Amino acid sequence: MSLIPQLILNSLIAGSIYSLVALGFNLIYGTKRFFNLSHGAVAIIGGYIAFYFTKSLGVGIIVSSIIGILAAGILGYLLDRFVFRKLRQRKASDMVFLITSLGLMIVLQAVTALLFTNDFQIFSSQFTSYQIFGGVITQVQIIIIVSVIVISTGLFLLLKKTRFGKMVRAISDDEEVSKIVGIDTNKVIGWVFFIGSAIAGLSGILSGLDIGLEPTMGLSLLFKGVIAAVIGGVGNVYGGILGAFLLAFVENFGIWGISSEWKDVISFGLLIVFLLFRPQGILKK
Amino acid sequence: MEYLLHLAIVISIYSILGLSLNLIVGYTGLVSMTQAAFYAIGAYATAIAMTSYDINFFLAILIGIIISGLCALIIGYVLSRFDGDYFTLGSLGFNIIITAILVNWRGFTGGATGIPAIPRPSLFGFDLSTNLTFFILALLAVVVIYFICKFIVRSSFGRVLKAIREDEKAIQVFGYNTHYYKLAIFAIGAMMAAVAGALYASYLSYISPATFDLNESVFILSIVVLGGLANNKGAIWGAALLILLPEALQFVGFPSAVAEELRQVIYGLAIVLFMLYRPQGLVGEYKL
Repeated sequence: MSLIPQLILNSLIAGSIYSLVALGFNLIYGTKRFFNLSHGAVAIIGGYIAFYFTKSLGVGIIVSSIIGILAAGILGYLLDRFVFRKLRQRKASDMVFLITSLGLMIVLQAVTALLFTNDFQIFSSQFTSYQIFGGVITQVQIIIIVSVIVISTGLFLLLKKTRFGKMVRAISDDEEVSKIVGIDTNKVIGWVFFIGSAIAGLSGILSGLDIGLEPTMGLSLLFKGVIAAVIGGVGNVYGGILGAFLLAFVENFGIWGISSEWKDVISFGLLIVFLLFRPQGILKK
Repeated sequence: MEYLLHLAIVISIYSILGLSLNLIVGYTGLVSMTQAAFYAIGAYATAIAMTSYDINFFLAILIGIIISGLCALIIGYVLSRFDGDYFTLGSLGFNIIITAILVNWRGFTGGATGIPAIPRPSLFGFDLSTNLTFFILALLAVVVIYFICKFIVRSSFGRVLKAIREDEKAIQVFGYNTHYYKLAIFAIGAMMAAVAGALYASYLSYISPATFDLNESVFILSIVVLGGLANNKGAIWGAALLILLPEALQFVGFPSAVAEELRQVIYGLAIVLFMLYRPQGLVGEYKL
């Protein structure tokens, strides 16, 4: 195992996870420009549900993962239906959206801890690992990288080629006008929450498989996703992917030679540098 | 009685934090999630001054206030370039950076294990170390800070702050440099939070970075949001409510780990419900 290839592989893996979080986050951000802080908690709940089905009920990992992804999607949909839709109707300010999502994050994280305890949990299975250019990568990590390619291509096709995608883009341009031209905005936004949260659920499951699960992990997933989204250009689905890989490379190479506990400082430092010098992100929406 | 005194001291400390953040969030409209960082700086400065340099509590608290204020000027200067959601995101980043520094700068801050054996205050040979005298001291701090806040919000300075909250562009047209005002109130709030930090450090005699993480900033923000934005009494009500609620849960008989999570569920739900149905909080005068 040599250092540089391993650092590159680690960056690619971390970047893929961050991309998944950022994809869902940006998709939801597009509908009503607000930072959805509950996104990470939804992701980790997807992970825990998949974990529960494999570990406690003995369901196969593939089926459990599908259940976890759907559950996260449904949770996202319900949050929109019963909370965010009400705020939209009241035309609440962005700050109200942000603080509400913060409240939801606290509730979801605490409920996860009540149901699954605060202990660190790992999926039992040992995964085969491979050598690439002197670096080590596990089967799960390969799946992580493949998922990003599949999901981002799928999302690209969905947004660019379908009627639904057109409606989503219309809403992100102007919700009021979309309503006037006859788009059922609540329904479309509900679907966007479902899809975005389902992708988040996938990221929760994959990082659970890769490193393990802990209720507070949702917060760090969220931050990485948000930072990736902001430095990539918030609301821009593809910018989020660029931002995610940039963040992952800066983080992994940044802790070269110093304690890995500085990782958060590096990632938030990068965020603040971007906010100061290029607030619109790499790609402007 | 000791237990009631303990609760009263904790409520006093959080009242100060609530009052300090209310100046920033409630009166100026800057949703800051970094108040725990200044709380931490105050606590650490006081603790290090008292334990490593044997400085008297009342002088140490002053050092804490000054250091916290200076840090706030630097952080506030960076944050003053952002608005709205980005301000909140940036402020939350600074909280994480400050806690990471506290954890990693082991030689100075004691790292993750923190600083033990911080003495209680004494003045001119009088020992103020009983819980009762400490409570009187904390209460005095609350009263002083309450009146400072009241003075600030009623002054012309406070009126400019409220104008910034309502319409920053409009007040700029009248020739006010809003950056200075925002920076000033950010630093004043941070200095008040440092007082709370100093009291906390001396009261518990032990501090560690875990106390001052992002969750703590979220907790202080909830005090302000639930108690009532732009209402100084609201901040105190919010502190009392959020401290007493989990205590009540423990009396009902939940084990403390479950009670802790339930507390989170309740205050998270409270935030959501308040945002949905009463965005100005209990007695607030401003809706976000």
